[in-house]
Amino acid sequence: MFVRLLAVLGLFGALAAAPQPAAAQQSLTVFAAASLKNALDDASAAFSKATGVKVVASYEASSALAKQIEQGAPADVFISADLAWMDYTSAHKLIKPDTRFNLLGNRLVLIAPKDSKLDHVAIAKGFDIAKLAGDGRIAVADVKAVPAGRYAKTALTSLGAWAAAEPKLAQAENVRATLAFVARNETPLGIVYATDAKIEPKVKIVGEFPDDAYPPVTYPVAETSASKNAAAARYLAFLRTGAAKAVFEKYGFSYLIKPVS
Amino acid sequence: MIELSPQDWTAVALSLRIATVATLVSLPFGIAIATLLARRNFWGKTLVDAIIYLPLVLPPVVTGYLLLITLGRHGPVGAFLADHFGIVFAFRWTGAVISCGVMAFPLMVRAIRLSIEAIDRRLEDAAATLGAGPFWNFATVTLPLALPGIIAGAMLAFARALGEFGATITFVSNIPGETQTISAAIYTLTQVPGGDSAALSLVVVAVVISLAALVASEWLARRATARLHGA
Amino acid sequence: MLVVDVEKTLGEFALHAAFEAAGGATALFGPSGAGKTSLINMVAGLLRPDRGRIVLDGETLFDAAKRIDVPAWRRRIGCVFQEGRLFPHLSVRHNLEYGRWMGGHDADPAGFAHVVELLDIGALLDRRPGKLSGGERQRVAVGRALLMRPRLLLLDEPLASLDEARKADILPYLERLRDEAKVPMIYVSHDAAEVKRIASRVVRLDGGKVTATGGAELLAV
Repeated sequence: MFVRLLAVLGLFGALAAAPQPAAAQQSLTVFAAASLKNALDDASAAFSKATGVKVVASYEASSALAKQIEQGAPADVFISADLAWMDYTSAHKLIKPDTRFNLLGNRLVLIAPKDSKLDHVAIAKGFDIAKLAGDGRIAVADVKAVPAGRYAKTALTSLGAWAAAEPKLAQAENVRATLAFVARNETPLGIVYATDAKIEPKVKIVGEFPDDAYPPVTYPVAETSASKNAAAARYLAFLRTGAAKAVFEKYGFSYLIKPVS
Repeated sequence: MIELSPQDWTAVALSLRIATVATLVSLPFGIAIATLLARRNFWGKTLVDAIIYLPLVLPPVVTGYLLLITLGRHGPVGAFLADHFGIVFAFRWTGAVISCGVMAFPLMVRAIRLSIEAIDRRLEDAAATLGAGPFWNFATVTLPLALPGIIAGAMLAFARALGEFGATITFVSNIPGETQTISAAIYTLTQVPGGDSAALSLVVVAVVISLAALVASEWLARRATARLHGA
Repeated sequence: MLVVDVEKTLGEFALHAAFEAAGGATALFGPSGAGKTSLINMVAGLLRPDRGRIVLDGETLFDAAKRIDVPAWRRRIGCVFQEGRLFPHLSVRHNLEYGRWMGGHDADPAGFAHVVELLDIGALLDRRPGKLSGGERQRVAVGRALLMRPRLLLLDEPLASLDEARKADILPYLERLRDEAKVPMIYVSHDAAEVKRIASRVVRLDGGKVTATGGAELLAV
């Protein structure tokens, strides 16, 4: 009996002691806004293929990522969905300021489940979002901290729709969770980026927020100050290439800089 | 049917690893504390009891947050460990071991304590008259007789650690390959368009592993009990 | 040579007993509830007296005034309990060897064989306590206490849980034990017939007090 117990324990011990697979290969940790997931996965794959460096990406709300970096999370690169959170990390000396640059842009759209009766909604001052939502709620990312939520609140406020919309909001922890709400038909409406709507076949865009209703969505990139990874600089350089540009534009992002190659 | 990417399998392997290490590391502490609570009365015993069981009743995120502010990079203990020994737990798989271990600990202590309390102390008295000092008495009489409870406690803790989510994601977040356990991976997949099938596949894997752990626990405990009574 | 003079209050029961025991078999005789088991437990070191002293072969095992209390595991006093208390997770052989392990003594195959033969438990060696009858269990319990090389053997109602037939079976072994093992014995019982066969000296205990000491004539009452 004891022999058997020892064998089981030994098995567990071996499981625990087994070295992690990616130990030998060089790897890079990227913390990126949730909306970047699909596009950045593709771009990172291209980077890995070209350089042999494995990219481990953590996609969450930029607010959550910035706080984690502040708490000592081991990120090498940070890509935020708004300038405010990059400014936050900069103010707390969490990034190398000379590596910072604005990479991408995006647009805010109103979405509905694919089978929704809603079709073309004219979003202008005075549009009645509450009536459009009916009994249901409007999915947005957390309006206090998450960039997508903050853009949404700004847009609704400048359009005079915030007061009516606020009690009907269903706030999610990031923009992809917001997208999932609408995709699962849990809310009749949602506010996400155009790039999110593009990759989710279960939703359709029913309206576009006018550009002057919210500040331009900008994705700044920077290397973290704690990073001692040489691959980080290579990664940032890669993001500036034409190859990367092609990937991002395919997903609907606007590429803000002149590509270097 | 099971369509999982390499990243998903990494989450499975990581979960198993974290749960195993968490269980093995907390086992000696669990046995020690359970014995203390079962056998000794001391000033402050009720308080110790309450603190041990706290993770069972606190919201997991609260436990994770408490871990973050004490063991995190800027927390009192975390900063000390990092500055003097270079040991960092936050956002590392070792931190996940701690959060999973802490959440599972009360279950382990409870099971072991009950089995120690059930041991006939007259047997320990007999061992003492035969010359067994406190240590050997514990090692040769108490511990073997408590074995079924210890096995049950360990497996319960393992299963709990395997499924831990709230405290872990708060303390060490969700970094693939480092801290993304099965639960975190499933959670992430719920936000990926078209990720439902992968999420379900992971759910199946999680259920299978948990069931296997429970079945193994039952079998081992039963065998231990049978051996005790001379089978 | 055992000298006991102890006091203890257990709830409403007050025990105050003093007696001496030299070699051979001494009986501690009295009705149920007289305090015999408590007294024996105090000698063994399993129960702490409130006041008094216990001295064995010149070594003070307990002295309340001098704050001496040698723990049970250091007293080298073998005990046979009414319920046997064999370790269920160990074989009979390992139960028997337990005292030797704990004492760190070298193996003594001859001594072992002698005790096994004395108590006729050779056929039981590889069995587990769970598979023994009551009588067999008690014989193993006696063997276990003997094999720890005690300087004193305490038997607390060792036959009380057996029926008459089993008792009759085992008594001869106990008589042999008394005659052949060179260890002084204290035999606790409420059964006069048993005591008459085993012991030559009798200490009467009643209501927590020693009421008489003497020979077998004390059993007549």
